[in-house]
Amino acid sequence: MSRQKQKKLGTILLLLFMLIPLIIAVFPLLALTLASLKPSTELMRYGLNIKPQFELWSLDNYTYLFTEGRVYFHWFKNSIIISLFSTVLALIFSSMVGYSLAMYRFRGQGIVMFLVLLIMMIPFEILMLPLFRMMIWLKAVDTYAGVILPMIIHPLAIFFFRQYSLGLPKELMDSARIDGCTEYGIFLRIMLPLLKPAYGAMGILLALFSWNNFLWPLVVLRTKEMLTLPIGLAGLLTPYGNNYDVLISGSVLTVLPIIIVFIFAQKYFIESLSAGAVKG
Amino acid sequence: MRQDSNLITKSGNVLKNVVYSPKKSLFYSQRLAPYVFIAPFLVIFFGFYFYPVSYTIIMSFQEILPGQIRFIGFDNYARLFNPTFYKALYNTTLYTFWTIVILIPLPLIMAIILNTKKMKAKTFFRACIFIPSLTSTIVAGVIFRLMFAETETAFANSFLSFFGFDSVNWKQNGATLMFLMVGLASWRWMGVNMIYFLTGLQNIPKEMYEAAEIDGANAFNKFRHITIPFLKPVTVYVLTITLFAGYKMFEEAYVFWEINSPGNIGLTLVGYLYKEAFQYNQLGFGSAIGVTLLVIVAILGFIQLKLTGFSSNGGK
Amino acid sequence: MSRLFYLGFSMLLVISIVLSGCSSGGDKKVNSNGNSEASNGTNKAQEMTFWTFQGLHIDFFEDANKRWNEANPDRPIKLKLESFPYDDMHNNLLLALQSGVGAPDIVDIEVNRFPNFLQGDIQLEPLNDIIEPEIDSFVKSRFEVYGKDGQYYGAPTHVGASVAFYNKEIFEEAGVSPDDIKTYDDFIEIGKVIKSKTGKPMLPIFTNGFWEFYPMISQKDSDFFNSKGEVTLDNKKNEEVLQYLYDLIYKHDIGVLAPGGHHEDEEFFAFMNDGGAASLIMPSWYASRFVSYMPDLAGKMVIKPMPAWKEGGNRSAGMGGTGTAVTNQAKDVELAKEFLAFAKLSKESNIKIYELLGFDPPRHDVWDSPELREPNEFTAYFGDGLFDMLMGIKDEINPLNITKLTPMTRDLIETNVLHNTLREKTQTPAEALKQAADELRSR
Repeated sequence: MSRQKQKKLGTILLLLFMLIPLIIAVFPLLALTLASLKPSTELMRYGLNIKPQFELWSLDNYTYLFTEGRVYFHWFKNSIIISLFSTVLALIFSSMVGYSLAMYRFRGQGIVMFLVLLIMMIPFEILMLPLFRMMIWLKAVDTYAGVILPMIIHPLAIFFFRQYSLGLPKELMDSARIDGCTEYGIFLRIMLPLLKPAYGAMGILLALFSWNNFLWPLVVLRTKEMLTLPIGLAGLLTPYGNNYDVLISGSVLTVLPIIIVFIFAQKYFIESLSAGAVKG
Repeated sequence: MRQDSNLITKSGNVLKNVVYSPKKSLFYSQRLAPYVFIAPFLVIFFGFYFYPVSYTIIMSFQEILPGQIRFIGFDNYARLFNPTFYKALYNTTLYTFWTIVILIPLPLIMAIILNTKKMKAKTFFRACIFIPSLTSTIVAGVIFRLMFAETETAFANSFLSFFGFDSVNWKQNGATLMFLMVGLASWRWMGVNMIYFLTGLQNIPKEMYEAAEIDGANAFNKFRHITIPFLKPVTVYVLTITLFAGYKMFEEAYVFWEINSPGNIGLTLVGYLYKEAFQYNQLGFGSAIGVTLLVIVAILGFIQLKLTGFSSNGGK
Repeated sequence: MSRLFYLGFSMLLVISIVLSGCSSGGDKKVNSNGNSEASNGTNKAQEMTFWTFQGLHIDFFEDANKRWNEANPDRPIKLKLESFPYDDMHNNLLLALQSGVGAPDIVDIEVNRFPNFLQGDIQLEPLNDIIEPEIDSFVKSRFEVYGKDGQYYGAPTHVGASVAFYNKEIFEEAGVSPDDIKTYDDFIEIGKVIKSKTGKPMLPIFTNGFWEFYPMISQKDSDFFNSKGEVTLDNKKNEEVLQYLYDLIYKHDIGVLAPGGHHEDEEFFAFMNDGGAASLIMPSWYASRFVSYMPDLAGKMVIKPMPAWKEGGNRSAGMGGTGTAVTNQAKDVELAKEFLAFAKLSKESNIKIYELLGFDPPRHDVWDSPELREPNEFTAYFGDGLFDMLMGIKDEINPLNITKLTPMTRDLIETNVLHNTLREKTQTPAEALKQAADELRSR
């Protein structure tokens, strides 16, 4: 009996302990959502707080986005298209590289691994000018392709797929070869299904990176209708007056769709991430 | 196994010839396969990274004005020895240090708790703690700026005054600004790192613990001799990405002060690069900062990977 | 597009070889057609692109474009207006000018970034032929900040005459009047009265903005550089001004460090809006910030000339600004220049600058025109008489010496000098200015 009680007490203590990070994680977003319902002058005056001033609440800021700020939805569409393509392409290429780094032994392997780590270390800012010149040469300025192309290899994803693939059973490869499978057949028919959780997890992370990417799209995209969400929103903050009403409600609407997608997909996502093996 | 027929039906007709070609051709050999797998990577690398990096290295030896470019040898590098650069290096190193100190043990503890049998509502906690990483730095920055505003009614200060402390000018002071930057990064990355550690924890075979229990090991012994060794690969991974991300940090500082902070308390190496290259139109000097940063990170990165024994089992 | 196509094609080939049988990854329909607006009926309108970092200027140029097409039906212009965040617009412009492709036809460049674009082979078009015929009607010093070697490259947006904003209510409570302040000594005396009667500080002082320090040294006929472009930041006069600001806070106890430290900070708006200080020294364009972010002060603020250092001295300085330039990548340079003259140099356009933007137009011969007397949101907030006041000080504005080190000078003042002397008190004014000046000289 007392052992039972002790166990319960332990659970409660753990729950209480975990409540701290939970609150820290969720609270600021909640506060932002509340703030988006208030006029920005209120925000100017008192900063971000959680006083529930119901009498001040209105959906005016959102109405503005849906009426006068319609370009907002162009940004939304662009963000979705860019995120989708760069995520899918990055997944394909990164998994191929990660897989071959883990499963094969070949000349130049060390160099490729070195290159992957190198890309991970390069601060993107130093590449901007030459990369921009390349985009001009490719006539890719102000196109989706210009944003997507340099993003379709993602060192973090390659690294992750390599670590994950190390945990795949190599015996399967040999038996498949005996059965007459080609190397590509092995990857497609046998290993790909095993890599599914890794695809799920990296897919979400890559989509997130792409959705929130700022610096590069900013350099490549020009026309107002071509901008992505984060850039469009940042454009609302100017040194000669910030448009807080739209900024806050726009921010909430940027995060909201991902949170909704996440809530529906999270079980699959987290389970898959946790089911995987990251080995080094 | 005749899966080749499948390949034909699903692929476009362009590829039929390829698929029909003899099995033992070079293209299908085990030797060539890895190269085919990494080919797109190499194309992108040489296209979009090799050329820009080489170009940057060349620029770092030049003085670049529109239409007037000349080589000036190591002058740009000589100019690096100035207090602003040291300050940026100091800030960046300190930031990286703190993110490593916070973003490795805390997520690890949380992951362990969420992995115990006693814990309830695991999925709920996991999801909620992960949510901040869904926001962009820009949005997170807006939130932090407003929460830590100087006004007494802003959240952080009203919290302090509730406990009887004075208001703090969060952004004005080196230590508190560092707190905000590290806090912002921690807030956004805590959940991701926690998930990485959970990944590692769930891969520890249960039998290991059972066997240990039979041998009479206590909780601490199990943690010391099973959990820690098994988590090493994940920890190396998290440490590596945290280290690299720390030295490349820019946005977390930018959202508070943009480029110019009082006494440069918010200046990072990338911020310094950005300021020189784009705000002062010193692309050559900016490139030199970038190359130096790359060298610093490469050295630290490879020391770290050597120490943690990363490279030992590549491609077995 | 074709290079892109080949690249894409060869990539696709590799994927499809490897992933033969994989259903996705196939048709990548990346659309390059960004121009969503189709031409709407105008006869062969010349397309032009305009970049700005200030959303308000979009409305202004949209209006100018409409008026131009009405006035010149034979040479219509189709202006594509784009606004970017401040830093990013200037960076993108720099990249585009360095690369020789991708720059707009017409662009707004902020005064502190302007020198960056006047280095090497200048990529902006000289505007002398459109500026010189009009220059006598303008506050001439506003062209010089966008010029180099006798050539003008930018058309100014406003005078940016620095003024003093006084909170009438606080003054009345203390039984004093803003009109009693003629010199900076008066400023201290009145400030002490206000402090003792109401407890309110006289002046908030920015530690991350040079909008007080810079006009105040300009009033003393000083500057960061002399006319030859040599660094004079650490001269005696500048030191005295910095000492004055220091004394306001720590000796006379009537100055206060501005919350947030910067004139665009949320904290500062809140502080002022609550009647936190009796006065503010800022360029006149700051009036729009009062109207937008400090609604509670409507009807309580008055705009006056700045105090002078001694009776009869200069009572203002021209600060900040945006120069509109034509790049050498413009498709039709002559047309772009003509349009720019129409949009920013004509009498009519300068009236529009006031009507649409609320700025003090750089062309002083419009200051007494009736359009500038009409009630609008600014007169509702600050009362009438703004331009009569500006007329009175237009000859008291010194030109500024802008060099390629100007952007860095501003940064040094805003990051180190003011912060270290006023907030941290780790350096004396002389030390801080000397250190900054030495750093500038070493560049």
